[in-house]
Amino acid sequence: MSNLSRKKVLAALGAAAATGPYLFTTRVEAADESLEPYQHANIDWQQAKGETITVAFIPAGYFNNFIALTPQFQQLTGINVQYQKIPPLEIRAKAVLDFTSKTGNFDTHAGDPAYFPLFVANKWIEPLDEYLHDPKYTDAKWYDLNDIFTMWHKAVNLDGKQWGLPSDGETTFQIYRTDLYKQKGLKPAATLEEYTHNAQVLNDPSKNVYGCALRGFRGAGQNIYIWSSIFLEYGGKWFKDGRPDVNSPAAVEALEWYVQLLNKYAPPGVQNWNWPDIADAFSQGGFGSYIDSNTSAMVAVDPAKSKIVGKVGAARWPAGPSGKRAASLWAWELPINAFISRRKKLATWLYIQWVTCRETQVRTSYGFSGSYKRLGVNRYSVLKSGSFRHLAAAVDDWLPVTLETLAHDIPADYHPPIPQWPPFGEALATAVQQALVGQSKPKDALNNAQREIAGIMQKRA
Amino acid sequence: MIVRAAAPAGLARVRPSRALSEGRFVALLLSPAVLVMFAFTTLPVIYLVWTSLHTLNPAEPYANGFVGASNFVALASDPRFWNALRLTGIYTVSTVILQLVIGLGLALLVTNLGRAAGVLRIAAILPMILAPVVVGLIWRTLLLTPQYGVVDFIGLSLGLGSHNWLGNPTLALVSVIAMHTWQWTPFAFLVFVAALASLPRDPFEAAVIDRANAWQRFRYITLPLIRPAIVIVVILRTIVALCAFEAIFAVTGGGPGTATEILNLYAYNKSFIELSIGYGASIAVVLLAITLILALVLFRLRTARR
Repeated sequence: MSNLSRKKVLAALGAAAATGPYLFTTRVEAADESLEPYQHANIDWQQAKGETITVAFIPAGYFNNFIALTPQFQQLTGINVQYQKIPPLEIRAKAVLDFTSKTGNFDTHAGDPAYFPLFVANKWIEPLDEYLHDPKYTDAKWYDLNDIFTMWHKAVNLDGKQWGLPSDGETTFQIYRTDLYKQKGLKPAATLEEYTHNAQVLNDPSKNVYGCALRGFRGAGQNIYIWSSIFLEYGGKWFKDGRPDVNSPAAVEALEWYVQLLNKYAPPGVQNWNWPDIADAFSQGGFGSYIDSNTSAMVAVDPAKSKIVGKVGAARWPAGPSGKRAASLWAWELPINAFISRRKKLATWLYIQWVTCRETQVRTSYGFSGSYKRLGVNRYSVLKSGSFRHLAAAVDDWLPVTLETLAHDIPADYHPPIPQWPPFGEALATAVQQALVGQSKPKDALNNAQREIAGIMQKRA
Repeated sequence: MIVRAAAPAGLARVRPSRALSEGRFVALLLSPAVLVMFAFTTLPVIYLVWTSLHTLNPAEPYANGFVGASNFVALASDPRFWNALRLTGIYTVSTVILQLVIGLGLALLVTNLGRAAGVLRIAAILPMILAPVVVGLIWRTLLLTPQYGVVDFIGLSLGLGSHNWLGNPTLALVSVIAMHTWQWTPFAFLVFVAALASLPRDPFEAAVIDRANAWQRFRYITLPLIRPAIVIVVILRTIVALCAFEAIFAVTGGGPGTATEILNLYAYNKSFIELSIGYGASIAVVLLAITLILALVLFRLRTARR
């Protein structure tokens, strides 16, 4: 009996081993696609052949598409790629740990652009210029850096050097229920005041429909990702006369608006919501609108998950009292770790070039054969192509609003480019959440944050 | 001694100098284990203390260097540290008391259940074998979600209304205390079940003859007899409560605001999110000192009355 069951177990293990690779690879046949478009680049793709690199990504659909196409990269370059998936909050800490211990565990990783000044100040990463501008490693005409959204590569261009390139990105805008807005005779808000009004009109907790939602979860990359826009739209400035200025009257008003809006018109629990919670709840018809990443809108038009397919529209950020709109500046930027061998750096550069080039961006977007086609492409030419327009049509006005937002609404000072941003952003994130849950009044919370941040920045002086 | 008695006759003629070298031989055999222990437990603690005496912050690499006790002085005037210390106290005391009372209560109930007790004992182990992060996620999504979670479902059915369990600072603290208690009460329960099962019958029979009621038997016979078990539960649970991290990290991350930010989480946030590694180390050193002192006091209490 025991022999028989052992046989069964062995047979099952054998079957699992044989089918495993197929189960866990989203699209193995991707490797069969032609490599010809890459061969148009006048470089030797095989110059780091045999090298193995490790890449840290976050567990997200868009990175899964790159991972699925990696056999093509391996075939093209002869470079092996190993992946580690680390959640967004932890990947920042893990990258810093890897850099401080100089272990070179990750040759490149999905990096937060706001962290790049920190990386550069500590010389943890390598400038890409020597690869980007050397015809031996990059065919400038084929790669076409200027086709990449300017703000996305300028975000990590510090001291005149390029430190990373965007693999996937997004910006933020209003996402709303077209059916509910029509029923109530509402238009997408042009101002923050109108946004509050719309939320008030739509809010009907007795029917389990709330007015709106914004990120409440604490973190420089969570609640501050959205609150920074409100702060800037109220006329807030990060610094005044070279000193931090996060408790100015504009900042306090911005926080009061955020706290009142969410406490009055958002679903219970929003205090701990990050964007996936918001996108999921919206797709179940939980509230009338939210402001978050443009790509998150696609959750609400996925027929497999959403109850509101065909009822979703997009509109630009409502303008603040200062008259400004301030959308987010965000892309997962890929740097080269400074603590790896010369040959690994070259292999990593070829990988970064492959991920960020037009062909791979297309193949992981509308050219992808799997069900999830990523929208966070990094290039004007891809965004403006007919096939992409078709892909984006599921959300009303998604493409024109994205293009307008990218062209006009992203402020250069969305986040201050300082190495102290991680503690700066965290102090602010804590203050914003404390005010939201009523632990402190907005003014007191910001006064505390100002004190803490001034202490952080004082050391520099 | 036993080894020598069992040794072959030839070894009986060992010269004194050889006997001395036996000590060295023992030291040699022990040294790998001692070295490994030193490398993986003592050395990191020394390094932690050393780090706490420095400013170590990659966000301000120009300010890094030895600062003596400055980090500890700064802690004294840091309201967030005092808040974290207060929360650690509330969290530890309340979870230990709850585990003790509920665990003992359940054990007393189960002792007279006969066969059903076996099933209950197995069921009791389940929460303990779950990873704390999994417990945190289950509580966050399945149990505590406002309106749709199991807790609110029951609350709404009973007419108690819906509550924002993790969004309200007070309720969030209550929730993480309840979560820890749910996961670790089974430990106390199992210890007490074993302690109660091993109690002698004679004193109870004598007490019944003396007409002692149930409460008197419990208060004057059961409790004193299971005292060693109570003390060991208090010691172990206190140390574990002071070390709590993963479940709270998964369920609230220390929030909302700083409502559940116990010392461990504050040290983590300071070190790895805000990158003040030296300052974070000083918080960890304080927590280490508190844990050591408490453990010493509790162990003293245990041995003093033996």
